Amino acid sequence: MAEDRHDGDIMSIPGATDSIDAATFEQILEMDDDEEERDFSKSIVYDFFTQAENTFGKMDTSLEEKNLKTLSELGHFLKGSSATLGLTKVKDSCEKIQHYGQRKDETGTKDLASDDEALKKLAAAIKQAKTEFRDVEKVLRKFYHDDS
Amino acid sequence: MDTSQGSGSNSSDFVRKLYKMLENQTDENVVRWGNEGDSFVVLENEKFTKHILPKHFKHSNFASFVRQLNKYDFHKVRHNNEENGQSPYGAGAWEFKHPDFKMNNKDALDNIRRKAPAPRKANPQPDELMIPTQQMDLVNGQLVATQAQLQQLQHRYDELSIHHSMLLQEVIGLQKTVVNHEHVMQNVMSFLHTVDAQRRRDSRLGNPFGPQQNGAPAQNGNVETQTSQVTPLEDDIPASPLQHASKLLSETNADVMLNPRNLEQMNEMTLKMSGTLTTPPPELLRHARPASRGPPSAASSTSMRLGDIDSLVYPVGQTNGIDPMYSEHINNIPYPMPPKQPETQDARFQDPARKKSTQVDPGWVRAPQILLVEDDPTCRRIGSKFLYAFHCAIDSALDGLEAVNKMNAGSKYDLVLMDIIMPNLDGVSACHLIRQFDNTPIVAMTSNIRSDDISMYFQHGMNDVLPKPFTKEGLLQMLEKHLAHLKKPLAQGEGMIAPQPLSATRQILKEEESPAKSPNTASNWNSPNQVPGISPVSTVTDDYVQTMGHPGAYAVNPIAQGQMGYNTSPQMQIRAQQQAAQAAHAAGHRRQISDISGGDDLNNAAKRQQMYNAPIPPQQMNIQQRPR
Repeated sequence: MAEDRHDGDIMSIPGATDSIDAATFEQILEMDDDEEERDFSKSIVYDFFTQAENTFGKMDTSLEEKNLKTLSELGHFLKGSSATLGLTKVKDSCEKIQHYGQRKDETGTKDLASDDEALKKLAAAIKQAKTEFRDVEKVLRKFYHDDS
Repeated sequence: MDTSQGSGSNSSDFVRKLYKMLENQTDENVVRWGNEGDSFVVLENEKFTKHILPKHFKHSNFASFVRQLNKYDFHKVRHNNEENGQSPYGAGAWEFKHPDFKMNNKDALDNIRRKAPAPRKANPQPDELMIPTQQMDLVNGQLVATQAQLQQLQHRYDELSIHHSMLLQEVIGLQKTVVNHEHVMQNVMSFLHTVDAQRRRDSRLGNPFGPQQNGAPAQNGNVETQTSQVTPLEDDIPASPLQHASKLLSETNADVMLNPRNLEQMNEMTLKMSGTLTTPPPELLRHARPASRGPPSAASSTSMRLGDIDSLVYPVGQTNGIDPMYSEHINNIPYPMPPKQPETQDARFQDPARKKSTQVDPGWVRAPQILLVEDDPTCRRIGSKFLYAFHCAIDSALDGLEAVNKMNAGSKYDLVLMDIIMPNLDGVSACHLIRQFDNTPIVAMTSNIRSDDISMYFQHGMNDVLPKPFTKEGLLQMLEKHLAHLKKPLAQGEGMIAPQPLSATRQILKEEESPAKSPNTASNWNSPNQVPGISPVSTVTDDYVQTMGHPGAYAVNPIAQGQMGYNTSPQMQIRAQQQAAQAAHAAGHRRQISDISGGDDLNNAAKRQQMYNAPIPPQQMNIQQRPR
C-alpha cells in the first residue's frame, strides 16, 4: 500500500542510489502516517543529523586525545543508527572507525602495527565518514524539501 | 543397449570389431590370437589402451573394454592351475576367451551375444570374473538395494500420508466435538443463569436482605427485574461462582481457540499434494463428520434463538460494576455467538479487530509487552515504531542497567529486545543478570553477528539474535517465533499452516486444567504465562480450580451429561464433565440443584447469557486486563 506511491521517490535524487539502501529506508518511510508531511521519518532523519554532528565533534576531540577506545565506541554508535536508516556509505565508514579504534585493520581481522598507524587511518576514515554524511545529508534534505 | 542392433545383423558390432582388430597383424606384439587360436591375448596393456583401443573402439579405457567383453560373455583366462601360475604370454598379459570366438571361424561369431542384463546371476563363478566386473556387480547390487529401499520408503511415505490425513480428520472431528461441547455448555450456563435468577428473585421477594452467601446479591436493591426489559444490570447480578464459570467458559472458548480451518486447510493440502494415494478410507470420513455435524446445528439453533431475543435487551458495555475483580473481563469477553453453521464459518470473520491496513496485525491474543533496550535513539524510535505497528505494547530502556532495573523491579515482559553494545551495562551482561531471576525470552539486536559473538550471546542466556539493521519482516518473524503462545490461532490466515496454533491452543487448554504445572509445549523457554500471577488465564483458573474440589459438585454430572446426546471420545467427556461440574458447582454453591424449576424466565437467563456472548475484540480486553 505504502509502496504504491511515494511523493517523490528518494532514489531518484542524484547520489541517493549509492549512499542509501532503498529497502531499509523505505521501510521507515512506510511508517509515515502522512506521506506529504512525513513527520515520523523526517524527525528521525533530522535527529540523526544532530546525532551525527555531535558524534563527529566527539570523534575530533577523541582523535586529538588519541583515545582509540572512545573512537571505536563512537564509530559503533554511529554505525548502528546509520545502518538502521540504510545509509550504507556512512555505515561502512563508521565500521572502519570502529575497527581502527580497536587497532584492527578495516575488516577487523588483522591487528594494526601501532597506535600511530591506527590514528592515521582513523583520521582518514573520519574525514571520509564526514564527507559521506554531508553527501547523504544533502540527498535527504532535498527529499524532505528542505532547501536550507 | 544395443541388443536390438545385435539381432539385426547377425554378429554384434563389438565382436566384429574385435575380430577385425585381431586380423590386423601389425599390432601382433600388443594384441594377438592366443596360441591355440581359441582366445586372444593383450600382451601390452598400456600400448593396447593408448593406441589400439582408440583405433578400433573409439575410446581408450581398458576397464570399459573389459566390461564390454564381459557383457559378451568373454572370460579372462586364468592360469592358476598351471605349474608356475604364470600365463604363457607373460605376467602382464590378459587372455580372454569365448567358446565361439575362434581364429578362422568367423561364422561362430554370430553366436556371441550380449548377455541379458540380469545383474543377479551375472556371477555364477565369481572366481572367474575380473575385478572391474565384480565392482560392477557390486554397484549393480547396491543400485538394486537402493531401489528396493526407495520403494520401501515410498511405501512408508504413502502409509504415513494416509495416517496423517486420517489423523487430521480425527483431529478436526475432535475439534468440532469440543466446539459442540462449548455450545452445550453455553446452554447449560444459560439454564443455570435461569435457575440463579429465579432463586435470587425468590429470595428477594421473601427477604430482600436474606442469607445470601455472596456479596453481589446483597447490593441488589429493590428494583424488580422480572418485568423490566431495560433493567440495569446491577440489579440482577448472577451468583459470582456462576460468573466465574461463565468467564472461564468464555476464556476457554473452543470457538476461538480451536480453529478447524487451519487443519482443514492442511488436510486439503495433503490431499492435493499426495494426489490419488491418500484418499482416506470413506468410512473414516463418515465417522469423523456426522458425529459433529448433527449436534452443532441443534446447539447453534438454540443459541440463535436466545441471541435473537437477547440482542434486544442488553446493550454491550452496560455491565460495569458487576464484579469488582473482573468487571473488565465480563465487559469484554470475546464470546462470539455460535453461528448457524460453525463448521463452515471462516474464522477470520469472527475477529472484528482484524482490519486491513498498512499496519500488520499478527493477531495477538493480547498485546505483547516488549522491552526494547537500545541506547541509540534512531534505532530505538524505529524499533518502537515497528513494534507499535505490530500491535505490541512497548517499554524501552536506554541501556542494560536500566533494563535490569526494570525487570528486577517486577516489570513483566513477553519479550526483551536487547542491543549488545551500550553504555553503563552492555546487553550480554544485562542478559546474564536478568537470567538470575527471570526467564523472559531475550533477543540480541546487534550488528556483531560473528559466530563466536553469537555463541557468546547464547551462553549468557540470550534466546535469539536479530541482526542489525533489522527489517520489519525480521522483527515480525522474531515476534512470531517467540510469542507463538500469544498468537490467536484463527488469525493465522496468511497461508501459513504451521502446527503452532495447535500447540498454543493445547497449552492454554492444559493451563486451564492444571495451572500449577506449566506445560512447555509451545516453546523451549519458560513463557511468562507460566509465572503465577502474570497471565490472566492462569490466575483466573487458579482461583477457579480451588472451587472445583467441592464434593457436591459432581452430583450434577448426570444432568450435564444428559444434555449431551452424542458420542464423544472419553477425554472430551471428562473435560465436559469437569466443566459441567464447575459450572454446576458454581450455581450449587449458593443453591441446591434440586431447586431448579426450569421456569418461565428462561428468557431472563438468556439475556444474561447474551452479555457473555458479546463479540468484543479480545485484544481490547487484554490490554485492560494486563496489570502494568
